[in-house]
Amino acid sequence: MTPLRRLLKTRTNILVGGIIVGLMTVTAIFAPWLAPYHPVDDANLMYALDPPSRQFLFGADSQGRDILSRVIYGARISLSVGLISQGINSLIGVILGLTAGFFGRWWDDLVMGLTNIMLSIPSLIFALAIVALLGPGLLNVFMALGFTNWSYSCRITRSQVLSARSLEYVQAARALGCGRLRLMFTQVLPNILGPILVIGTLGVAGAILLEASLSFLGLGVQPPTPSWGSMLSQAKDQLFTAPWVSIFPGAAIFLTVLGLNLLGDGLRDVLDPHTSRQRR
Amino acid sequence: MRRLLLIALVLMSLLPAAPALAERAGGTLHYVAPYGGDLLGLDAHKSTRIQDFLVQTSINHSLYSWEPGVNKPKLELATKADVSADGKVWTFKLRDDVKFHTGRKMTADDIIFSYNRVASPATKSPSTLYVRIIKGAKDVEDGKTQSIAGLKKIDDFTLQITLENAVDLPYFLFYPGTAILPKDEVEKRGDGFSSDPVGCGPFQFVKWVKGSEVTVKKFPGYFVPNRPFLDKIVFKIMSESQARDNAFRAKELDATIVEPVQYPVYMKDPAISKNVIEVAEMFTRVIGFNLDKEPFKKKEVRQAINYAIDRNIIIEKLLHGKAVPAVSWLPSTSAGFNPKAKGYDYDPAKAVELMKKAGYEKGFTVDAVSTNNASWGTVVFEAAMPFLKKININLNIQQMEGATLVDRLQKGEFDMFSYSMGTGPDPYQPLARWKGDVSRTAGNYIDHKNPAYDKALEQAAAERNEAKRNALLQQADGILLEEAAMMFFNYNKAVMAYQPWVHGLKAAAVDMVLQDYVQIWVEESSPRAKEK
Amino acid sequence: MFAYFIRRLWQFIPTILGVTLIVFLLLNVLPGNAALTALAEGDRGLDTKYVEEMKKLWGLDKPLHERYFDYMLKLAQGDLGRSFLRRDPVSGLVLERVGPTLKLAVAAMFIALGLGIPLGFFSALRQGSWLDTTSMIGAVSGVSMPQFWLGLLLMYALAVALPLLPTSGYGDGGLRHMIMPAFTLGVSYMALLARTTRAAVVEIKLADFIRTARAKGLAETVINYKHILRNALILVLTTAGLQFGALIGNTVIVEKLFSWPGVGSLLVDSIFQRDIPVTQGCVLLLILGFLVINLTVDMLYALIDPRIEYR
Repeated sequence: MTPLRRLLKTRTNILVGGIIVGLMTVTAIFAPWLAPYHPVDDANLMYALDPPSRQFLFGADSQGRDILSRVIYGARISLSVGLISQGINSLIGVILGLTAGFFGRWWDDLVMGLTNIMLSIPSLIFALAIVALLGPGLLNVFMALGFTNWSYSCRITRSQVLSARSLEYVQAARALGCGRLRLMFTQVLPNILGPILVIGTLGVAGAILLEASLSFLGLGVQPPTPSWGSMLSQAKDQLFTAPWVSIFPGAAIFLTVLGLNLLGDGLRDVLDPHTSRQRR
Repeated sequence: MRRLLLIALVLMSLLPAAPALAERAGGTLHYVAPYGGDLLGLDAHKSTRIQDFLVQTSINHSLYSWEPGVNKPKLELATKADVSADGKVWTFKLRDDVKFHTGRKMTADDIIFSYNRVASPATKSPSTLYVRIIKGAKDVEDGKTQSIAGLKKIDDFTLQITLENAVDLPYFLFYPGTAILPKDEVEKRGDGFSSDPVGCGPFQFVKWVKGSEVTVKKFPGYFVPNRPFLDKIVFKIMSESQARDNAFRAKELDATIVEPVQYPVYMKDPAISKNVIEVAEMFTRVIGFNLDKEPFKKKEVRQAINYAIDRNIIIEKLLHGKAVPAVSWLPSTSAGFNPKAKGYDYDPAKAVELMKKAGYEKGFTVDAVSTNNASWGTVVFEAAMPFLKKININLNIQQMEGATLVDRLQKGEFDMFSYSMGTGPDPYQPLARWKGDVSRTAGNYIDHKNPAYDKALEQAAAERNEAKRNALLQQADGILLEEAAMMFFNYNKAVMAYQPWVHGLKAAAVDMVLQDYVQIWVEESSPRAKEK
Repeated sequence: MFAYFIRRLWQFIPTILGVTLIVFLLLNVLPGNAALTALAEGDRGLDTKYVEEMKKLWGLDKPLHERYFDYMLKLAQGDLGRSFLRRDPVSGLVLERVGPTLKLAVAAMFIALGLGIPLGFFSALRQGSWLDTTSMIGAVSGVSMPQFWLGLLLMYALAVALPLLPTSGYGDGGLRHMIMPAFTLGVSYMALLARTTRAAVVEIKLADFIRTARAKGLAETVINYKHILRNALILVLTTAGLQFGALIGNTVIVEKLFSWPGVGSLLVDSIFQRDIPVTQGCVLLLILGFLVINLTVDMLYALIDPRIEYR
């Protein structure tokens, strides 16, 4: 691809992705002002399962609540779950990677072993097990998701540390008594910020999908809190009588995750051209 | 000539309308097993789920059978039952023409073997409490002895059962879990019996395709002549209501259980709605209160909640009309139900007044626990929230799995719960659950303690006269209602839709799927009428 | 070569041990009494004696470390324990579900490989064309699409609005029942493969040896298929293998949505029923499958490409 093409493609990715994510964030932050109804309190059974109309733009759900409002408020749940849990993951990953790389020996072996184990367990299954243990609920979803996706950040950080350590001038600095901590901050962290950001963006997307999956299975967010995933779990039974219940929450998940993936792809092309050439 | 023809025509037009269709023998029935992804097993003594029982009742017989239309147990494997004056000794004259599917005749030994097996700790049967009424059964359960003392064989076809107390034996020994199984086959097949059972029922086992279907065929040696009508029944395992809907419309299913979502659609359909049976099933959905916790200690608060929630609109809109508003604990189909009882109507003004009287005008916030069940789970709390807000009650809804819910209920770790509990078929058992001496662990989740209630029940238990006993039971039920110990929300309306060529299905209140398979027959018009 | 194989197998063991430990810990600190689920259905009044018996039978009253020890001992003998709910051995229950899950996974893989690789390949060859742009947009959408949503939409379109296919269920295991779940499962995988293939082909296109081949005067098609595709496949298949884990994880959702009687739906059901031995069995089986696939892919890769190091 010519450099121009590449730039255009990257720019488009970032642009489109950024716009979508931005819109979702704005929706989440300004939900109370944007939503025409309250997602929980404005429940009127008389309107249960009403089709989309002027009164309820996206229709009403089985409890007589406005779906549009619930989708808007659902953005809050999804985005906060995504951001916070990925934040936890990245933090864990970076810390473990740094310590593994710098302090080496048995700690390194342990961390690498743990990473291997984590990579062997598909994230949904791990999250399922944790939620099965702790029970459903928003807080427990944070716990479950916060521990599923730190492996990549850990590996990247660790390999950065190892390559930094092998650099001549770093070894020289160490010989001169430069502290490891200082080296971490000056040599390693600046180099991993890019990849971590990319992993983070894609990770938020993954976390949002995971949360939606958990809620869909009935193990996520509690009623009556509106979560896009739990809204879809009701939809299956209503497919014949009220198909609109299926469309909007799903579209919201799809758009948000799409935006994040586009953004992450674009960022990767800009910040981390190496990875697109790597084999694994 | 023409005149004769005219006379003939006139005579023919005067004949009464075509006579009622005669029962027709033959054909295959595609019946539904809607309660789960698969059966757990076909060994009646080890089963506890309706999903398993509904298949097993085609293969097995217990001493008594439940008559779906009449809603009472009837003597099945014996011709006579003599009861002693004190009600404790029952002597049965067994039928001598009952055969197991292997061809051997059933004798008193088989009954003794079956009940011993149910009571035996080695079997770990969930049905032990139905056999515990027999004297000496408890000793077998505790491992002190191998056979129940109260079972005495007089001869091959005469059996004497001595009870621990004078209870209504038929209501215990009709239970599918107490089926009479042949000793020789059970011992020969061991664990394999659960996948290849033998019984003395109208149909015999053919095959079980795991996760998909179970096939049984007519037992030629059945002791009722010319019965069963059907040649074969295929039980289709389908837990998804949409899948059942599709199959029923495609005429792949002869009968199906209708869920709330399909209910209004089916009832509006002119063709389908003609062939639908509805009955108030013996399951009461309640919102229970923790009677040990502060706001619920006051009767006014409990009654206020009863008045505050509009049951009817929730039933209509959330459950699509597929429930019968509850009056009290026992359903209208139970013998202990007081037809004159008046429940709590929707009266928000009265609710506010009662809360004020109790000193809770400001209201309070409580934890409400349940599962994700679509009919009685947390959706009920969600629907009730707007109503409760009017009396300033706020709910913290907590959804959990069934086992965790029961765990919390047993430990009393809740404020309010929403649940569906069996209230039949015997009217005494479900009422006995709320006796003061029954612990939370045994089912008295609300920790109900009322001496007047206990007394009424004790008298009822001792009363041999049916009418007087029912009166006492109704009195007890009335106490529960007056105290508003729980909010009685609704009785499940079981709905079964069937194809127009199917006959013999009845309104079965215990559980709609538990039909009398012997009486079912299909017309020629069935696509499977000629299938063997 | 053989040494590499042995070494990889050796690394396998601590991973498995670690996994069993974590799975065991996660699942056995559960609240809720599994025995009760058997009786909680309909709740016709509980028999406390029965509950106590069940507790004793499954050793639920023993301390945690004792239970782990028992568990590991039995595992070493291939005994996965007995289901709380059914008293049947877990291994039997899980194994009879493996068939449907495998069918689904293989079908999904065929769809993904069969559609994804060609898509990626041709997109890369015609870089910048509308085919390229649309299929890449499609690919990124496929990866972003929540599986249960796609499944629901397909279900509505093909089974409710136009009753062409059955909505759910295994039926006779035939194509009609399998097509929607397999497609739903395969879509995100297909999207991923398309992107990976495209990236690999794009990279290889620029490589020196391709320029050499062109300079030699080889026909374009020959270059395309013989050189580019084969080399790209190596790269793609490794990623395909690694990403298989995501496929396995996602079977859970698809199986639950379409009532497909596989290991995934058994897993979810067992979690709801607190049937801990079955949950453990399912998780272990799924992870084992994933690890075996990984190992196989690694081996194949080592065989095909002599350039990699054996560290």
